[in-house]
Amino acid sequence: MTGFAARARALAFMRHAALVLIATALVLPVYWILMSSLRPADQIFRHAGTFGLETLVPMQLTFENFRFIFSGTFPRALFNSMFIGVATVTLGVFVNSMAGFAFAVFEFPFKRALFAVVLLSFMMPFESIVIPLYTLMRGLGWTDTYAALILPEVAGGLVIFLFRQFFAGIPKEIYEAAVIDGANWWQIYWRMTMPLSGPTIATASLMLFIHQWDAFFWPLVAASREELAVVQVAIARNMTLEQANWGALFASASSAVLVAMVPFLFLQRYYIRVVATQADR
Amino acid sequence: MNARWWVPFAFLAPALVGLAIFRFAPIVIAAVGSLFGTTLRGESVFLGLRNYTELFADPSFWSTVSTTLIFNLIINPFQVVCAMGLALLVERPTRFVHIFRASFLLPMTVSIALTSIIWAIMLDPTLGPVNGFLRWAGLPAQRFFRSPDQALGTLILVATWKGAGYWMVFLLAGLLSIPKDLYESAAIDGATGWQRFWRLTLPLMRRPLAFVLVADTAANFLLFAPVYIITNGGPNGATQLLMFEAYQAAFAHLNHGRSLAISTIILAIILAIAVVELRLFRPAEGSA
Repeated sequence: MTGFAARARALAFMRHAALVLIATALVLPVYWILMSSLRPADQIFRHAGTFGLETLVPMQLTFENFRFIFSGTFPRALFNSMFIGVATVTLGVFVNSMAGFAFAVFEFPFKRALFAVVLLSFMMPFESIVIPLYTLMRGLGWTDTYAALILPEVAGGLVIFLFRQFFAGIPKEIYEAAVIDGANWWQIYWRMTMPLSGPTIATASLMLFIHQWDAFFWPLVAASREELAVVQVAIARNMTLEQANWGALFASASSAVLVAMVPFLFLQRYYIRVVATQADR
Repeated sequence: MNARWWVPFAFLAPALVGLAIFRFAPIVIAAVGSLFGTTLRGESVFLGLRNYTELFADPSFWSTVSTTLIFNLIINPFQVVCAMGLALLVERPTRFVHIFRASFLLPMTVSIALTSIIWAIMLDPTLGPVNGFLRWAGLPAQRFFRSPDQALGTLILVATWKGAGYWMVFLLAGLLSIPKDLYESAAIDGATGWQRFWRLTLPLMRRPLAFVLVADTAANFLLFAPVYIITNGGPNGATQLLMFEAYQAAFAHLNHGRSLAISTIILAIILAIAVVELRLFRPAEGSA
């Protein structure tokens, strides 16, 4: 029996060692970039080649790198990404919730086929159509415009699906009562259903925003003009040039990482709840 | 629900028009455009299948295809195994499990472009801290992305660093939905942990595993940013993947016919993958 207990303890120890090792490998690169953005420019690589405590813990901290990037072209890229993200969220929540409402509430011809098309659109990653979409945009004369960066990401299968799932859970009697009271469908959608959808709207908004914030391939080809560069493209362009200011690169990369990571940290609890409710079944 | 016949279509119209223009029209444009070429004076001429015959006669195209196949044959099973390993490690609700789950998900929040930039610096042979660590541990420094032998393997590891946690979410949801009494009765019957995994867990996880494998294949097949940012297809074509070849044909060599022919091949493969994925898709899993 003691042999069995010892084996179980050894297994638990190995499991925890593996957990700590993997978590370190996953978190450390992000940590190192964030820390390096706070180091004075001449300190960034001084402790990288020779490993030691100072590789991980900066002895001198400065906000100089951040002050530098915010005096250059980076604020413009930040504005572009924010504007494109907010515009996509505004249009996307509206357009996709309407479609989700139709799929959840009405019966109509070709409903199953249309819904399959919607699902198919989200099983095909956006990258697969980037090059022919560029051909289309060039034909329309839309390259190098905000519209080219915003409109293609507005309608999305996954967001339509999210809204459909939520609206399908609302009891049909509520709609029937509203129809009897003389409300038209637009009023039912806009005054009754949407105000109930707070959490779904929040999830959809976050998904749409992060998707645009992280986008790289499409903004790279669709907008070559410097003034339309989004954050990801601006940072990557700085990377490919002969790098003279590493501090600025680290500071801009850190800012871009944090914008996507902070909302995720807030949603962490919600995410675990979603997984946990699945476990209860 | 009763409504006049046009009401549902009015609600659907904006989204369907958007999908038609921005998701489905490009498929047609790729197929039609691949049959045309551009003259030096910029006129469009019909070439029939010549873009394809030229592509298939080009040894550099076949070397890209073989690199893409090798890359996918290794990375997709590898990522599924890693994601499954991570899910099994954080399945049981032990102390600190939330911290580990969060740390596994952290790379998922770093965009693919930033992942590429971070790892290009981390793995730089002279400046990067990874070689600094290797030297400190008494190991020889490596060339990583600068070596033709290591570049593709390094690319696989970097893509897995970002992807494994994301795919873990789907598998963890699957694992947590397996009824606990199944494990209890197996334990009473005297099954070892190893036997329980092979005879109980794996068969019950077949569907989520298949879904993740297929969806992951679609994502990796289209990998572009790390090749563009870190390696430019090199060294010596070691990381020349199909998506990057299509990009180069259009934007470096200005050969749109060739680029659209490659895009059409990519789209045909992606559509086939998407149809398989659609059949494996169950609503309960998609919401995770």
